[in-house]
Amino acid sequence: MSSLLLMAPALLLLLAVFVWPLLDYAWLSLQAQSVFTGLETVPVGAANWQRLLADGRFWQDAGQTLRFALVSVALELVAGLAIALLLHQRWRGRGTVRSLALLPWALPTTVMALGWRWIFNDPHGPLNGVVQSLGLATVPFLASPDLAWVATVVADVWKTTPFVALLLLAGLQMIPADLYEAFALEGGTPWQGLRRITLPLLRPYIFIAALFRLAQALGVFDLIAVLTGGGPASSTESLAVYAYLNAMRFLDFGYSATVMLGMFLLLLLGAAALLLWRRQAEVGA
Amino acid sequence: MTKTASLRLEGLCRRIGERAILDGINLEVAAGECLALLGPSGCGKSTVLRVIAGLDPCDEGRILLDGRDITHRPPARRRVAMVFQSYALYPHLSVERNLTLGMELRGVPPEQREQELAAVLELLQLGGLRRRRPAQLSGGQRQRVALARALLRKPQLMLLDEPMSNLDAQLREELRPQLRAILSGGRAPAIHVTHDQQEAMGIADRIAVLHDGRLQQCGTPRELYHHPANLFVAGFIGRPQINLLPQDDGTVVGIRPEHLVAVDSGGVPVRVRSREWHGASQQLLLESAQGPLRWTCDGNQEIGEELRLGWEPRHEHRFREASGERLGSPGRHA
Repeated sequence: MSSLLLMAPALLLLLAVFVWPLLDYAWLSLQAQSVFTGLETVPVGAANWQRLLADGRFWQDAGQTLRFALVSVALELVAGLAIALLLHQRWRGRGTVRSLALLPWALPTTVMALGWRWIFNDPHGPLNGVVQSLGLATVPFLASPDLAWVATVVADVWKTTPFVALLLLAGLQMIPADLYEAFALEGGTPWQGLRRITLPLLRPYIFIAALFRLAQALGVFDLIAVLTGGGPASSTESLAVYAYLNAMRFLDFGYSATVMLGMFLLLLLGAAALLLWRRQAEVGA
Repeated sequence: MTKTASLRLEGLCRRIGERAILDGINLEVAAGECLALLGPSGCGKSTVLRVIAGLDPCDEGRILLDGRDITHRPPARRRVAMVFQSYALYPHLSVERNLTLGMELRGVPPEQREQELAAVLELLQLGGLRRRRPAQLSGGQRQRVALARALLRKPQLMLLDEPMSNLDAQLREELRPQLRAILSGGRAPAIHVTHDQQEAMGIADRIAVLHDGRLQQCGTPRELYHHPANLFVAGFIGRPQINLLPQDDGTVVGIRPEHLVAVDSGGVPVRVRSREWHGASQQLLLESAQGPLRWTCDGNQEIGEELRLGWEPRHEHRFREASGERLGSPGRHA
């Protein structure tokens, strides 16, 4: 009984900020609450869920979100590892660069997204300035579906690579230097050392970084909301942006809750699959 | 020694900023010989190894291995193997993979790898541990794996950096003869760094004493004990420590604790202050007009007892107080 009492504060907190909103959303997803109902809640059963399953935009956004997360996290891991390796070497001014390298991550996303929107601006942005100075016609970076998608990835990679680099740098610092010395004396080259020692010993850190970043990227909202607003023609729209639009633009709160829950369930499924795969990999090894 | 030296250090210097870590080290190690580098911590002994291995740069001087100048070669191209103090085993690889990785890097064909692996596992009794990870091994087992890895390198020179310092005292004593047998089995010279003189005396053919980045003396354990070249070596080699008695003429007389004898007249008057009994002998701490004295004897002196101690002239070492250098050469033989 006393154990329950001791856990009570944490349990109450979890109930208040996690379980209760979830249940509330579950309830809301079974209601119609929109301009058509005069913002009154009207029970509609599974109508919202039926609509979700048939909603092409939801599934398209799910695919786009997944593609955005996978591509940007993959790029961040590669760039982050390269930067971490560089910052792990000894050279003059390394300390300064280490702190500077963190700046993009410290910047509020909205602020940096505004910055990138200006960089990609057609025709006045700096990037188009470079294009024009080369004697070419300006490029509508944010108005073409393919280029706009690339722009969201570029901005996300720019902002969160420092976070990945920092995590991996911490991992690199855990690897004893004498392993590399022993390896060199055995005839190994630095490149072989990276493959045979660094990467295997860094694996837990790479896994953690990928997990953190995937969770964040799958829920991406602020960057896309500010940079492209999900456009053009919802080509960069993520699930979180779609849920936001449903609530705040279409004033369809019931369906917005359904989209959010749908996204939650997809993530849960993905996480379960990942855990299962890892457990199997561990048993195999 | 008529054999050509297999390793030769000529005026080796290593500096960090203005500070000289190594200051002109000259040393020769013959083929098949095991040399111990002995000194207090911070004397530069590990740096000597690291410079020879190429892990630290050599700022001045030359390193000759079998007559070839390897001073500025990268570590991978020196054919030097090293057993690290931490053992530096690859934590993510099994014992087997720890041992074969180097051969794989050097392009040894798989059949030969398997053969050499089997031979070294046998030699060091590691057969049952092939599939274990380093974290699943005891300290002594890890040391054997590190040694096996170094042997598989087929080195022209074997370097050991305090390989026993992570083991408990009993295990160290057990392993000493083993290590000696394995090292003397090879043709390659070996340099064994340690701060433990018992270990140095037990394993090495010769001992080089290092202090403040300078070589103090290099010789057999007997030579160092009976004929120390200066005050530092006299005080560093031998436990319990040598008695040093400053004289009025600017010299210091050194006399080993076991060379003191009770005399009826003359000698130094002393009083017994404390006593340690070691079974085969007892260790007395005495008070005298010239300061505390250590005496190893097998008598039954009691605390507080007063007596007179002397020594035979042949056991006396004499040093110049200011420079520490040895005067004359008595005490050549015990």
